[in-house]
Amino acid sequence: MKDYYFSTKKMCVGYENKPLIKEIELALPKGEILTLIGPNGAGKSTVLKSITGQLQLIGGTVFFGKNSLAEMKTNELARKMSVVLTQKLKAELKSCRDVVATGRYPYTGWFGILSKEDEQIIDEVMELTHTADIKEQEFDKISDGQKQRVMLARAICQEPEIVILDEPTSYLDIRYKLDFLSILQEMREKKGLTVIMSLHELELAKIVSDKILCLKGEYVKRYGTPEEIFESDFIQELFDMKEGDFLKNKKFSAYIKQLECM
Amino acid sequence: MVCKEKELSRHFHLPGTWSDKKRNRTYRYLMVLIFLGIGALLFFLLNICIGSIQIPLSNTIRILAGQKANETIAKILWDIRLPRAAAVLILGGALSLAGYLLQTFFNNPIAGPFVLGISSGAKMVVALVMVFFMGKNIRVTSTTMILAAFIGSMISMGFVLLVSRRINSMSMLVVSGVMIGYICSAITELVITFADDADIVNLHNWSRGSFSGMTWENVKVMAVVVFLTFFAIFLMSKPLSAYQLGDAYARSMGVNIRILRICIVLFSSILSACIVAFAGPISFVGIAAPHLVKKLLNTIEPIWMIPTCFLGGSVFCLFCDLLAKTILAPTELSISTVTAIFGAPVVLWIMIKKRKGNHG
Repeated sequence: MKDYYFSTKKMCVGYENKPLIKEIELALPKGEILTLIGPNGAGKSTVLKSITGQLQLIGGTVFFGKNSLAEMKTNELARKMSVVLTQKLKAELKSCRDVVATGRYPYTGWFGILSKEDEQIIDEVMELTHTADIKEQEFDKISDGQKQRVMLARAICQEPEIVILDEPTSYLDIRYKLDFLSILQEMREKKGLTVIMSLHELELAKIVSDKILCLKGEYVKRYGTPEEIFESDFIQELFDMKEGDFLKNKKFSAYIKQLECM
Repeated sequence: MVCKEKELSRHFHLPGTWSDKKRNRTYRYLMVLIFLGIGALLFFLLNICIGSIQIPLSNTIRILAGQKANETIAKILWDIRLPRAAAVLILGGALSLAGYLLQTFFNNPIAGPFVLGISSGAKMVVALVMVFFMGKNIRVTSTTMILAAFIGSMISMGFVLLVSRRINSMSMLVVSGVMIGYICSAITELVITFADDADIVNLHNWSRGSFSGMTWENVKVMAVVVFLTFFAIFLMSKPLSAYQLGDAYARSMGVNIRILRICIVLFSSILSACIVAFAGPISFVGIAAPHLVKKLLNTIEPIWMIPTCFLGGSVFCLFCDLLAKTILAPTELSISTVTAIFGAPVVLWIMIKKRKGNHG
């Protein structure tokens, strides 16, 4: 058997004991990018929340290497995994650098005082994520695109082996979207970072992902490489787009066709 | 060579600019602490010098130093003014700290022990216990009072928590807190009305909030309780700073949210209980003092906020108690009257600013 960095066995997720998606079987080698796609409300966020331990699993297990999520200490997990959530981070009176510095939390001592080494890592990460020029600005006052980059810097600053991102590129303009994803790819190549994220932009999912998980309905719709996923009529089916309605428009149907070919 | 240069620049230039910034910030925090420390000392001295009998500062210092002086004046100083000023210092700090904890907990800048009805809950149980004990002619000790007040705080806190689970709005939380406060006050009034005459005078003064009549025994008990709690809260400053980012992020950073929440509720209730047990409910300090301190520091970092909030609350209360004693001397105003005059505008200011922030 191949060694996977991240895997799930018969994972079942949902809210308050009501299962939403059942029997999710994932296996991801170290340094790969997994993207979750699917219609609104299909449970992408639910899956991500369950993986990060924000939501109780209803069934099955999540493994990081050979350790199961349930058996890991919270601080141990914090050193392995960091997150960028859709929820806004509350950063009253904090500069961008202060926000990035919160990523050092699992490594600092009892009072959370940053060491010289921590400071150095913060500065390096801010260079890497192109946020060094805004480090003194107040986090609450920068644009959404910049905020998202600072959030990524914060997640990387936590020196994780895996990072979980929930729709990280929504609301960003095209330049920020590409810039954001390229930082993730750079981190993967340099440090072997494993990435799990949800994306709404299918054309981007197609080009950055190693694996894609399609969610729709009670079970996983499909799981595989982009080549396996993007084939004729699949996207149309995944998002319930029937011939006849808006696909009557030639330009729209051509757009979908173009998405589906690899 | 290039490598060396890079290393040099790393050591001197890049982090250098930042650590300058950091040094400036730390400098600011320390200045605020020192400034408030001096303020506390100043108002403390004023509080023991000024009263229905003025005692010149030189005399005060001489008496404090243990030199011989007029016996009546020495007695006033040692047995009345000093314990009172010490109590104001300790309880004022505790009140401000309790407010800060509750604001952090509910992520709501106008939360506080008084607004959320926690003080009133404590007041109710203390009144019940006092009337019951007095009816049986048992002396009520400081410890009993604190315990009673703690139970009352926890009851109110329980209600507030139940409400806050169902509604997630800043204003509704406060409205429900005020309602809980009214219910508890009504019950307290009822108890007082049916109590014996002799008890009423005692209870009436206390139930409106007052620092008068503090003894050294009171001060000892409150000092132990408040400083132990303060220390425990200070030790929590790291998880608190993570909690301020939001639940989900704090959890992802390895904070055990459940335990942290329980600790915050417990410690803020202990502080509120201690205040109510000795001085009755005091309004607005818990909101105004932390807010003003935050403005001075320009940060919400718990490690600085916790000690500074405490000092800020002390200064605020010493100042208000001084006014309460002197404005209409020899009649004494209730402390809440004075704290409301200075505290309520701050609350209004916070709410107006919040509105603006939402729109801009």
